Amino acid sequence: MLTDNNRIFHRKKILTVFVLCTVILLALFGRLIYLCVFQAEHYSQMATQLHERERSIKAARGRILDRNGKVLADNRTVCTVSVIHNQVKDPEQVIEVLSRELGLSEEYVRARVEKYSSMERVKSNVEKTLGDRIREYDLEGVKVDEDYRRYYPYEELASKVLGFTGGDNQGIIGLEVKYEEVLKGTPGSILTVTDAAGLEMEAAGERRVEPVNGNDLVISMDMNIQSYATQLAAQAMAAKQADSVSILVMNPQNGEMLAMVNVPEFDLNDPYRLPEGAPADLSEQERQDLLNAMWRNGCINDTYEPGSTFKIITAAAGLEEGVVTPESTFSCPGYIVVDDRRIRCHKTAGHGSQDFVHATMNSCNPVFITVGLRLGVERYYSYFERFGLKKKTGIDLPGEAGTIMHRMEDMGNVELATVAFGQSFQITPVQLLTTAASIVNGGRRVTPHFGVRTLDEDGNTLEDFSYPVEKGIVSEETSAQMRSILEMVVSEGSGKNGAVEGFRVGGKTATSQTLPRGSGRYIASFIGFAPADDPQVMALAIVNNPQGVYYGGQVAAPIVRQLFENILPYLGIKEYNLDNEQS
Amino acid sequence: MASRSAARRKKEQSEYFFDYSLLFIVLFLLGFGLVMIYSASSYEAYQSYQDQAYYLKKQLVAVILGLVAMIAVANIPYHFWERFYLAGYLVSMAIIPLVLTPLGVKSHGARRWIEVPVIGLNLQPAEVAKLGMILFLATMVCKMGKNVRTMKGFLLMVAFPLPIALEIYLITDNLSSAIIVLGISVLMVFVASPDYKKFLIMGGAVVALAALAVFLVVSGSDFLKFRGGRIQAWLDPESDLLGVGFQTMQALYAIGSGGIWGKGLGQSMQKLSFLPEAQNDMIFSIICEELGLFGAIAIILMFIMLLWRMMVIANNAPDLFGAMLVVGVMGHIAIQAILNIAVVTNSIPNTGISLPFISYGGSSVMFLLAEIGLVLSVAKRIQLKEL
Repeated sequence: MLTDNNRIFHRKKILTVFVLCTVILLALFGRLIYLCVFQAEHYSQMATQLHERERSIKAARGRILDRNGKVLADNRTVCTVSVIHNQVKDPEQVIEVLSRELGLSEEYVRARVEKYSSMERVKSNVEKTLGDRIREYDLEGVKVDEDYRRYYPYEELASKVLGFTGGDNQGIIGLEVKYEEVLKGTPGSILTVTDAAGLEMEAAGERRVEPVNGNDLVISMDMNIQSYATQLAAQAMAAKQADSVSILVMNPQNGEMLAMVNVPEFDLNDPYRLPEGAPADLSEQERQDLLNAMWRNGCINDTYEPGSTFKIITAAAGLEEGVVTPESTFSCPGYIVVDDRRIRCHKTAGHGSQDFVHATMNSCNPVFITVGLRLGVERYYSYFERFGLKKKTGIDLPGEAGTIMHRMEDMGNVELATVAFGQSFQITPVQLLTTAASIVNGGRRVTPHFGVRTLDEDGNTLEDFSYPVEKGIVSEETSAQMRSILEMVVSEGSGKNGAVEGFRVGGKTATSQTLPRGSGRYIASFIGFAPADDPQVMALAIVNNPQGVYYGGQVAAPIVRQLFENILPYLGIKEYNLDNEQS
Repeated sequence: MASRSAARRKKEQSEYFFDYSLLFIVLFLLGFGLVMIYSASSYEAYQSYQDQAYYLKKQLVAVILGLVAMIAVANIPYHFWERFYLAGYLVSMAIIPLVLTPLGVKSHGARRWIEVPVIGLNLQPAEVAKLGMILFLATMVCKMGKNVRTMKGFLLMVAFPLPIALEIYLITDNLSSAIIVLGISVLMVFVASPDYKKFLIMGGAVVALAALAVFLVVSGSDFLKFRGGRIQAWLDPESDLLGVGFQTMQALYAIGSGGIWGKGLGQSMQKLSFLPEAQNDMIFSIICEELGLFGAIAIILMFIMLLWRMMVIANNAPDLFGAMLVVGVMGHIAIQAILNIAVVTNSIPNTGISLPFISYGGSSVMFLLAEIGLVLSVAKRIQLKEL
């Protein structure tokens, strides 16, 4: 028997033990409340991730079509090979077969097979025939899923414009990136509930989310013009041993790009193959740099000094402001003194006395310097801005470069003089083309673009794109004067190699020396448009570092002439002479 | 005559106390445990043995054997056991090293079981040791009388369980059972001694040691190695999802996805082989997943009631020996329930402790039921007029 005395303290102690235990149990219950109520979402989400195996169903990427409906970027069925860790029965065989068939290193495949995850991708974009062959091995735990791979039927055509896609079918460069949202669609998925061994629980069923295919994109490019321009560019590059040749063709009325060529192009179906002659022992970084250079679209990503083609802008500004008229007369002694500088004309003997039209035909530097100086820095600069030259053109391609121009405060007469004939600043080719187009189309600054509309799977139009147009950057009168002056340049002046029998063509040549001066490297270019009285098509050809003769009038103008000879009839532009005969 | 005998019978029936509440709580926990074991293990059992009820059947056998043992023990006056106190201690000492002999059974990567010849049941010597220790200390408290209150007596009482706890820890590498044996002993000594100060100091020392261990791990010392990984996983289980933190995280997933109302009985996802030991140490997390917060509070309340009944019995025990026996059993159940729930909720570092009466485990449930038999036996000796 417990004595009463003992009993009291024993009872107190036992009560203490009980109370202590109860308090701890209730504290643990508090912890449970925290876990079950406040952390419930966090943990149940993580648990669901663990329980559900997701297999995605790729959405077919939208196609890219040219203006006539020719498919420029398409999809082809390919396979993705994955391993399901828990279902692999014979890892060694799986590793052996996959590394052999897929041409992967054993360590790479081993890491994938031995990684503890619900599903691990080994390789995507496997040709369907190879995927079928792997399927025939009937390896447990190896899954071959079919999906789509981008396929470019014309391979090199417009490679730097269209761009290509990566392993997940996402756009890497070009229109594929710019229109990613339109093209990509929404991938679907099959969610299956599995146990820890990855076995699917049939009772739990599966959730299936259907993929939504991407929309087709119609672009303004004309495959025929693009491929003919590519041929011309390749010929010119070979003939002149040039570094590169670019040709841009645009509808100056609305900014639609009909072609954009940058040779050398690359094969869109094999975009990671280095250009020929690349050294074999490159570091990863050097390799990537080389690829980036290969993928670069010089027409929009790079700037250059436009040279004499920029005189179109100076002339338009001068005419618009009234500091010069086509009839104004000038005298060129072969040079002009600006402040303390003596700037020479390309014709050192001088062009003598000439009116403004002939000065343009002769591409006489002192005359254009004079026009620039008459405008003065501030007015010249305001025209530069008004023409949109300080802004980007807004073309629907990624990575457009901005203009590199003096700040107005830093511009003196010498800088103004050089800018007036297209030196000492840099713009992109597409900027020059767009600005020239805006000057000859009646003064409407258009936005150059490729994207025209999107189509659904049945070919119905989903959206027509519209692009901003800024009106009145020059008057209609100035625009008409410019058209007629530039037609004279081609018919009788320095651009006569750009003339096309039977058509009224306007244009301007340029021969710019690249920096640093005296390197002997030139850029020959020609910008032309037709018909000269109502421009429907405008082209800019740029030959980078031609060997031998390097004058724009002799190197670049013939390219545009050949181009126009073929595409003007193709575009249904009537011959001037026939027109005349009819009337 | 008839009325006299009836009155006598009535007197006999009511003179002594039988704690039906305790019995029903235990039966409820056992029944609930069987349901949960079936729910938690059927998938895994079918995968491994093509028999969904494999674990249920084994547990059912152990429960029946345990109930038989409980009834037997309940009907034997508890003083009968007093004479075996030294034998109990020595048997506990002797039985643990048997795991190293061919009788030892290795499971879950540890040698913690021995196969009982003839019957073929696996027995965990640590369970024997817990019961042996309760009996031994209860007897010693009575034998030492007031000497328990001296420093010498105190030290002696604390020293008794140490060899066995060390054996369990070193030979079977079972830290949690060692802690339980020590914990039971400390609680019994605490009740036996009128002093508080010594125990506060002891408690303070344990907390300080634990804090030091955590500090050492956090500061990057590799002093603790294996246990260090567990402490790291305790502090931030998500940092090592597939390693040491795996089981903890799986348990938390189960608890978290159960929410307030649970997914419903049988609807657990985590038992589909995601959560290791789902029917065993981690069964509480499956209860939370299937029955939610309400299932959890029901179980916790059942344990609190169980402890309360044992407190009542201990307080009214006819003698100190009986009281100490009940305190030992009470301590045993309380410590295991608390540590188990604490581990499952990641309140303390992960260590393998089963939930009394509910977790799968034959020897555990049999010995627990035998201990409940002891408690019932003590309860039976309570004269109602004492209440």
